[in-house]
Amino acid sequence: MRPSRLAALLVLAFLALALLWPLGLVIGRGFGYGLSAVLADPYLRGRLGWSLAFGASSSLLVVLFAVPLVYLMRYRFPGRDALVALSMVPFVLPTLVVATGMLAWAGPRGLLGLDLSGTPWILFWGSLLYNLGMTLRLVLGVLGGSGRLVEAARTLGAGSWRSFWRVELPLSAGALAAGAGLTFVYSFSSFGLPLILGGPRYATLEVAVYRALLERLAFGEAAALILVQTAVLVLVSLGYLYAQKRLAVRAGAPAPPPRLGGVRGWAALLLVAGFFALLYAPLGALVLRSFWGPEGFSLAGWAALARPQASYFAPSAGLATYNTLRFSLLALLVTAPLGFAYAYGVWKGVRGLDLLGFLPLLVSPVSLAVGYLLAYPGLRASLLLLATAYALLAYPLFARTVLAAMRRLPANLAEAARTLGAGPWRVLVRVELPLLRPALGAAAALAAAVTIGEFGATLVLARPEWATLTVAIYERLGKPGIVNYQEAMALSVLLGLLAAGVFWGLGRGGEVG
Amino acid sequence: MIKKLLVLVPLVFSLSLAETLTVLTHSSFALSKEVIASFEQQTGIKLRFVEGGDAGATLNKAILSKGAPIADVIYGIDNTFLSRALEAGILERYSTPQIAVVQSRFLLDPTLTALPVDYGYVALNYDKDFFKDKPLPGSWDDLARPEYARLLVVENPATSSPGLAFLLATVASLGEDGYLKFWEALRDGGVKVAPGWSEAYFAHFTRYGGDRPLVVSYTTSPAAEVYFSEGAYREPPTGNLLWPGASFLQVEFVGILKGTRHRAAAEKFIDWLLSGPVQEDIPLNMWVWPVRRDAALPDVFKFAERPLEPAELSPEAIAKNRERWIAEWEAVVVRGQSAQEVISRRK
Repeated sequence: MRPSRLAALLVLAFLALALLWPLGLVIGRGFGYGLSAVLADPYLRGRLGWSLAFGASSSLLVVLFAVPLVYLMRYRFPGRDALVALSMVPFVLPTLVVATGMLAWAGPRGLLGLDLSGTPWILFWGSLLYNLGMTLRLVLGVLGGSGRLVEAARTLGAGSWRSFWRVELPLSAGALAAGAGLTFVYSFSSFGLPLILGGPRYATLEVAVYRALLERLAFGEAAALILVQTAVLVLVSLGYLYAQKRLAVRAGAPAPPPRLGGVRGWAALLLVAGFFALLYAPLGALVLRSFWGPEGFSLAGWAALARPQASYFAPSAGLATYNTLRFSLLALLVTAPLGFAYAYGVWKGVRGLDLLGFLPLLVSPVSLAVGYLLAYPGLRASLLLLATAYALLAYPLFARTVLAAMRRLPANLAEAARTLGAGPWRVLVRVELPLLRPALGAAAALAAAVTIGEFGATLVLARPEWATLTVAIYERLGKPGIVNYQEAMALSVLLGLLAAGVFWGLGRGGEVG
Repeated sequence: MIKKLLVLVPLVFSLSLAETLTVLTHSSFALSKEVIASFEQQTGIKLRFVEGGDAGATLNKAILSKGAPIADVIYGIDNTFLSRALEAGILERYSTPQIAVVQSRFLLDPTLTALPVDYGYVALNYDKDFFKDKPLPGSWDDLARPEYARLLVVENPATSSPGLAFLLATVASLGEDGYLKFWEALRDGGVKVAPGWSEAYFAHFTRYGGDRPLVVSYTTSPAAEVYFSEGAYREPPTGNLLWPGASFLQVEFVGILKGTRHRAAAEKFIDWLLSGPVQEDIPLNMWVWPVRRDAALPDVFKFAERPLEPAELSPEAIAKNRERWIAEWEAVVVRGQSAQEVISRRK
């Protein structure tokens, strides 16, 4: 069998078992409720409108900020990789922790001295905080392999601005579209920050699905909501997939991005670091908070991390860290082959696979959780299902990064190999895979972000002995008391550092190329 | 050789027979490690806990998997969900011998299918620093005034169990029409609504850097503030507001799930959950009171208040009306409709 066919089959089989069948059971139970009831409800229409507006403006903002940053960050300069790694940290932190940081920075008694809470500005700030890093990573992952093209442009006399405008920006347009699309998907369907910072007026459709399914067992209403939500996201995704395909530019052989040395390098660092310091100030506020006790400075929260926990249900920092790393690795074992298969199948032109493989990001996690319960009661609370759930939400991100790189691969190399008698398998292993190495590193980092941030964990029943850092943070924040609060902040800092470390390590691997 | 094998066979057999009991709980369940280990040692039964989210989601997951139960025992059904659990027929009856020592006012299920384990009260907490030289609200009418409404953060009753308990307290105290007018006044006065307890307490309460000195929490929270300050506080920095009807009693129940293949082990687990050592382990782990009459309380519980006049609503009344009350609350507080409009739509 041709490798592309096999890849498509693998993705289809996985999707059928992990997504379509469980989701079908949920929708099947609620069949016949009628979409009109949902669309006729002015409140739900309002929710839909708000979700759309928030998703679209978040996407726009992310692109607006990403372009000037890419202008500077397409060069290598001291500290660049560390900044990119840092920008991914909010992505993995629990929503409540990020909200706490936002309020500690720009809330009623925040360090900034300017109260933004209750205004849309704090929501948009939060959206940038979450999604800008992901978009930057996608774009820089693509540019990471295009150094030679830039070099060529320079040799031919193009200035810095001209080469950005004519070479790097067109090269990164696909990845920018990917970032904007993912930002929309996450902002549109998240439970998220708006709900904590802005109150229930900012509830998205996902909250309505949660209420209908898990609180009221109203399958009819839930099924209608799920269909509306999925339909909107499918439409948006079609647009974005089309854009990404159209915007992809084929480049030459990969080479590391040019280095910006001397004074200009330090100036670039200063500019980017200054902007990051402002944007990510809420994270700094979190670090301060972990040292903030009833009488000012206190180490009680950090000291509590080292203590064994008396309760069976309060995971120690050590166990939580171990579990976080263990599950991320476990998930990556499933995510990487699956994501690669999906990207490869789409690249080689298997019809319809593009949108189908993107589905996991488009369906509501709450409904999938219920679907798993109906489809696989015997597997509940099993490691197999946990790994599946993690991989399900991580592999599309992995694939988007790899696919963007695949589309830029020079066609003539593979053609040359084929003319010399190599079959598709041999071309894949000897030509294409080596060329994709940098993108694979970036993709793995993104997938790790999704798993460390645990979007998938809510899909399965939890076990106390599986508690990850996120679970440990929520456990501490489930009880009153200043030490619990400080410990939660300390755990959040630990989680942030761990994630930044993983991104940094994988990102560096990606740039060796 | 054969003799050795003969010795090994029962050994292996007994290992594989080590029974595992699966207990479905909500994510706030907690007990000490030693207490759980002692159960496993004494009975030879291994405990496997699975967490199903909040109380409502956990119960609904049990209902959804009826027939192919995902666990043997469910813990954490509260009195607001009791009727739904009983009507769904997911529980098997068990008359535990321990029932004699349980305070009888908590036996809300007369068939003794769902057995009470612990109880607590949802109530308003206030920040003592903030109210040092300002008067506290002393009634529902006070609270509805804008100068207090804009100091208050509540949890959304649609997504939070203390939020629902507080809503039920307002229904019980102010009546079917009165409660909506009260919430309308709170909304106009600027009450803040958080999705859950953690968000309300740790993001919006003034003690943790928020701007709201009044928060819907539990009557044990002031005691927990002392306990989790590691000596920094001798007295609680927060207090309870307990005018008549301003608090709501929450009782949590345990039950054996229908279709279990470990009925005997499940019975042992329930007897153990109601035994002295476990009941006395509950307060500092879950910040609620044990239902056992003779259970001793930890010292710090002297700061935890048991209200004399909590709001009362029967589990049947709650089961019948909860969805309507939540929907009406949402219509007024979230969608901004007038109380009168919602009331007149009822007919």
